[in-house]
Amino acid sequence: MSDRSSPDRERGMFAKEAYLHAEPIRSAARPAALRDRTYDREFADAIAGELVVAYRLAGYILADAVEAQDAVQEASVRSWRGWPNLREHDKFHSWFSQILVNVCRTRLRQRARHRTLNIDEVDVESGDPFKAALAADTVGRALSVLSPELRIVVVLRYWGEFSLAQIADRLRIPIGTVKSRHHAALQALRRRIGPVEGGIR
Amino acid sequence: MNDPDFEMEARLRDLAGRSATPPLPPEMADLPWSVQRDEPKTEAFRFLPALRHAAGGAGRGVFTLARLGATLAIAGSLLIVLGQVRGGDPNTGKVIILPQPTPRASAAAAPGGGPEVVILPTSGVVDDVMASYINGGIQRAESDGAVAVIVQLDTPGGSLASMNSIVSSLNASIPTIVWVGPSGAMAASAGTFITLAANLDYMAPSTSIGAASPVTAGGGDIAAQYGQTEAAKVLSIAVTTIRGIAQEHHPQAVDWAASTVQAATSYTPQEALAAHGINGVASSLDEVLAQADGQVVTVKGAQVTVHTKGATLVTVNEDPIQLVLHTLDDPNIAFILLVLGVLCVLVEFFHPTLLVGLLGALSLALSFYGAGSLPLNVLGVILVVLGIGMLAVEPAVPSHGLLTVGGVACFIVGAVAFYGSPGPYLPSVSVAWPIILTSAGLASLYGLVFVRTVLQMRHIAVPAGSGMVGTVVLVGAIGEVRQDLDPVGSIYVARESWTAKLEGSGSAPRGSKVKVVRQEGLTLIVERLPGDS
Repeated sequence: MSDRSSPDRERGMFAKEAYLHAEPIRSAARPAALRDRTYDREFADAIAGELVVAYRLAGYILADAVEAQDAVQEASVRSWRGWPNLREHDKFHSWFSQILVNVCRTRLRQRARHRTLNIDEVDVESGDPFKAALAADTVGRALSVLSPELRIVVVLRYWGEFSLAQIADRLRIPIGTVKSRHHAALQALRRRIGPVEGGIR
Repeated sequence: MNDPDFEMEARLRDLAGRSATPPLPPEMADLPWSVQRDEPKTEAFRFLPALRHAAGGAGRGVFTLARLGATLAIAGSLLIVLGQVRGGDPNTGKVIILPQPTPRASAAAAPGGGPEVVILPTSGVVDDVMASYINGGIQRAESDGAVAVIVQLDTPGGSLASMNSIVSSLNASIPTIVWVGPSGAMAASAGTFITLAANLDYMAPSTSIGAASPVTAGGGDIAAQYGQTEAAKVLSIAVTTIRGIAQEHHPQAVDWAASTVQAATSYTPQEALAAHGINGVASSLDEVLAQADGQVVTVKGAQVTVHTKGATLVTVNEDPIQLVLHTLDDPNIAFILLVLGVLCVLVEFFHPTLLVGLLGALSLALSFYGAGSLPLNVLGVILVVLGIGMLAVEPAVPSHGLLTVGGVACFIVGAVAFYGSPGPYLPSVSVAWPIILTSAGLASLYGLVFVRTVLQMRHIAVPAGSGMVGTVVLVGAIGEVRQDLDPVGSIYVARESWTAKLEGSGSAPRGSKVKVVRQEGLTLIVERLPGDS
């Protein structure tokens, strides 16, 4: 897991947004490599190594296989469009997971706007592997109470096995924030599960 | 360890460790990343997409403008046709449609061929419509052999050309009489000229005549104060005209007539009678007939005695088209039409439907047609249009209500100043307050409700589950394979490259034709065409 060495880019919202939503430069002077088929093969190789992990992360963040597929696809397309602007291709992993997290966050928020779905009420028989895995466990069911931000931190931490510093990098937030979110998430889960299922002590 | 966080961490780690990693659907794992990038083949044509993009943007603007232009052109030509049909050219006196022949009252009501007097009741602004109506009515009276024609007048004034036309019509081959009536009527501005131009003129009690020009404070001579300005020229021409008209039928009242223009004085019937400006005060048409009987007038250079005693009155009314067009001159209606027109044209901009734009253009055109006989104040019109514009863009440009306040203020000021100072002929009119307030309310409601709704509609998301933003490829569409289907590849269909999967097994080489069977997300499921190898 190659980690991003702190990029000396100006701090602030706009730099962050511009970076994460990198659009291809729409000018006549596009790099010649763009028109080269081998160029795309390079991207295809780069993304091939990401998709499985990405699908797993998206799946547990969104708790929905179809949505996870959509998210992975969207992140792929977005990264593909931004590929020409990515100077250091060895940082692709870090960059791609940032995009993926953004896509997932957007989807979670949209979903929150549209409907509230408790994982307990979800029909597990649909054969959705993510739903099934989460619904089978008390903690997994409790995940649905978390807000998008907290949920993303938890999934990245445990399902993605990222360190807190790595999460801070992916989310482009200070590590202190990651820590406090992580703590808040654990507290929320504990409150949800309650003293009855207090667990091993 | 008693740390609850630690315990929860352990449980999460445990759960995550047990969580399976489902394999990605194969068609997603193997996306053909190169197919969608169809760049131009040679360097020479690299600028083409950019050009096409730019042309597309410009094209849309041009299209909108062209459509608006076409709309205006249609409305305009409609109006011209309407104008032609309506009354012909008032200057040449050629009338295409004569006023409706009244029920042949002349024959029925006057057995034995008794004398007949034609009545032409008029009201409102002096305009082309009134001119052609009076013109046609007098011609009809002449051809019917009427002994006289009476124009019943009640007008605030109007346009110079129409007034001239009426004045020359009144110089007919039969005696012409103008009666300013009934009580409460007025013959202001252009109406004064018309009244004096008839062979005989009468006024009902409580009517007025005169006030034919704007004056400076103190009632001084406007030409003397402003020197050789355009206004002064117009005024001196008007004075000359009214002197000429008065000279013909009321030689004793020439100076009095000139004073109605120069000093903008208006007079009661008694004052006018004392100045010999009119022939008498008559409270009804019957009195007019009685007083006119036996008067000797000059008609086309010949001395004629008017015989109106016991004559049958035949009223010739405006025909329906004239009635409608004459209504357009109403200061309030012209204003309402302008407001409606601007609103409709704005609707067309925000929500293009040809019909509304057409209606808007039409009512704008009608408004300006009507305003042709009114002292339209350009500044007022601009303010009104600006006000509506500000109200309309308020929802699009967040200004925290400033635009609305400004728009309403602009609108009301413009509406109050909508009609400017009258010239010697033009009427002194203004828009009624209830109409100003109602239309201001309507315009702000339009901005707040309609434009906001339209803008919101534009932001409604594509319903979830429709899968994509663009078009949905029709099942049954025929596409061409771009990248071998084995079974997943890409095809070119509906002017787009699509990821496609061949149904069943087998493969299809590049160039072969396939038919779309169904769509799964962003992937098309296709089958080979039977005839294709």
